[in-house]
Amino acid sequence: MGAAIRRVAGTIVRAPLTGRNRRELMYCGFGGVAGLAGFWITVVLLLSGLTISVSVIGTVFGLVLITMTLRVSRRLGSLHRRLLKRMLGRQVEAPPPFQPGTGILNRVDRRLRDRPAWRAVWYALIKLPVSAVQLYTVMLTAFGLADLAYPAIWLLFRNHHGGTLSPLVAVVPVPFGGNIRVGSWLGAFPAALAGAACVVAAAWLARGINAADGRLVRGLLGPSSMAERVSELERTRALAVDDSAAALRRVERDLHDGAQMRLAALAMNLGMAREKLGDDDQAGDSAADNRASDNRATVRELIDAAQRNAVDALADLRDLARGIHPPVLDNGLASALITLAASSAIPATVSADIGIRPAPAIESIAYFCAAELIANATKHSYANQIKINIHTERAGVLVLEVSDDGIGGADAGRGSGLSGLAQRVSTVDGRINVSSPAGGPTMVTVELPLRA
Amino acid sequence: MRVVIAEDAALLREGLTRLLEDRGHAICAAVTDGDALLAAVAQHQPDVAVVDIRMPPTHTDEGLRAALALRQRFPGTGVLMFSQYIETSYSAQLLEGGAAGVGYLLKDRVANVAEFAAALQRVAEGGTALDPEVVSQLFRASRQRGGLATLTPRERQVLALMAEGRSNAGIAAELVVSGGAVEKHVASIFAKLGLPQDESDNRRVLAVLRYLGGKPQLQEG
Repeated sequence: MGAAIRRVAGTIVRAPLTGRNRRELMYCGFGGVAGLAGFWITVVLLLSGLTISVSVIGTVFGLVLITMTLRVSRRLGSLHRRLLKRMLGRQVEAPPPFQPGTGILNRVDRRLRDRPAWRAVWYALIKLPVSAVQLYTVMLTAFGLADLAYPAIWLLFRNHHGGTLSPLVAVVPVPFGGNIRVGSWLGAFPAALAGAACVVAAAWLARGINAADGRLVRGLLGPSSMAERVSELERTRALAVDDSAAALRRVERDLHDGAQMRLAALAMNLGMAREKLGDDDQAGDSAADNRASDNRATVRELIDAAQRNAVDALADLRDLARGIHPPVLDNGLASALITLAASSAIPATVSADIGIRPAPAIESIAYFCAAELIANATKHSYANQIKINIHTERAGVLVLEVSDDGIGGADAGRGSGLSGLAQRVSTVDGRINVSSPAGGPTMVTVELPLRA
Repeated sequence: MRVVIAEDAALLREGLTRLLEDRGHAICAAVTDGDALLAAVAQHQPDVAVVDIRMPPTHTDEGLRAALALRQRFPGTGVLMFSQYIETSYSAQLLEGGAAGVGYLLKDRVANVAEFAAALQRVAEGGTALDPEVVSQLFRASRQRGGLATLTPRERQVLALMAEGRSNAGIAAELVVSGGAVEKHVASIFAKLGLPQDESDNRRVLAVLRYLGGKPQLQEG
């Protein structure tokens, strides 16, 4: 028992002499100064940014200042991580790097949503009291060492004067109490003792505060927690889904305004040329007349062929564009489904009750699901009637139901179009449910969120 | 014929202008969006307006909305919708207020200049010009398929051409048969489908469209 106490006491007292203590104190010094500087930089930038952006004219400058704060806080964060690794050997992974967008607005927007940077701002603010404690340990050690040296200093500098000079003052920082006045060589020993106590206390204080700081760094400057990561991924996935929907829409519009328009103009010009040539050639009397007439007949044939090609190309492009993004989707899902139903080989009716309009990407997925399900029913079901119902539910869910009175037996697992549908639907966490007993009827329900 | 054109693609706008001027029609105005179209029709009171469906600013259905407004405010002006796509919901909205002076054609149809000009003429005179694509969608969507099944293939062809808005003479020319043969087919069709016989082309189109369920069924709720 006594041995154990001695061992613990020994560990406590010897702590200041270890190499680790040197490193802890060094970290306290550098980390404390960096933290203090970082706090003020962050506070000044952030406050001036916020204050300026309150006024309308200042909004732009304010935003610039705030985005600058966020950039700086990321830099400071990486400085803190490096200090921690270098001096205490504690490795904290860096958060994912900033993803700059294209265009100034997008860039600013992404800066402002940069979660790791905002967490670094929090760290800079919370670091203030931590820095204070860290710098205090450095000071405590310095004063303690000075006090510890007092007996030696007395011998070296004050010994020969006796007590005639003013007494030396040993400063012992709080909480170890005020100044000890030293009037004699023996009197220097209590000061030295107090100094030793300061050094020991500082060593343990440094370990404590650095452990806390390490935890803060890990929590605020490291990669985000799993939950945050998941929500981050969900957000970026939604962006990707929306982006691709917008891109497809753009492609369709480019086709419409470009190739389709030019082909229509080409068909029109060919039509005008064909008309100018006329239809009936009177057979001439001379051989030259006959030759000219033959030539005109050939040209007519060529123009007719060119015209047929132009019209066929227009039809092909129309089908292609529909497969990319049916233009009528811009008018809403109900309109698009009515057109879809009208082109179905099996009579199809549509009923729609859509409260809040879903995001374009969701509308597009619902539309292509309906198209695929109608095509499936046409191919396999031998049905007389298809019913399409689309409605929104209170919980922000879009429900598409496609049912037919056919022979049933549709199986999602058999590598049919249904598994492709399930894949498409799962990109937005949607669900698909197939009820198709042998003998029918078949009912496929697709549930989609209103936003990707 | 006095015509107003609304089409945002310069190539097609100029092409149409030239095509129609060549045939001796007067182009009162060629504009690029729906508001300008309404203003031009109000100013010139043309016989017919050729309207592209996708125009600025949103490039979705401006033309359709302008056309519906035209139908209400200027019933004397025929409206020919001119588009890259046939959308059932568009044709349904357009035909809601009757089939007189209404047309809906794919842009492809301008390849046959004579037919296109004839269709425009029909619409200007208060007739109907529906794209074969619109008609085949109506045939497919029709709830009266039982009735359609009783028709001979030739009669179905004639019915489709009637739904497009063609006159007997137009149908005869298209099918390369005599006018008398067409009249016989038409009488047989009307008898089989139980439709009232009517001499006027316009009311005949209406009867046929009504039979086909010209408006696709959309139950709200």
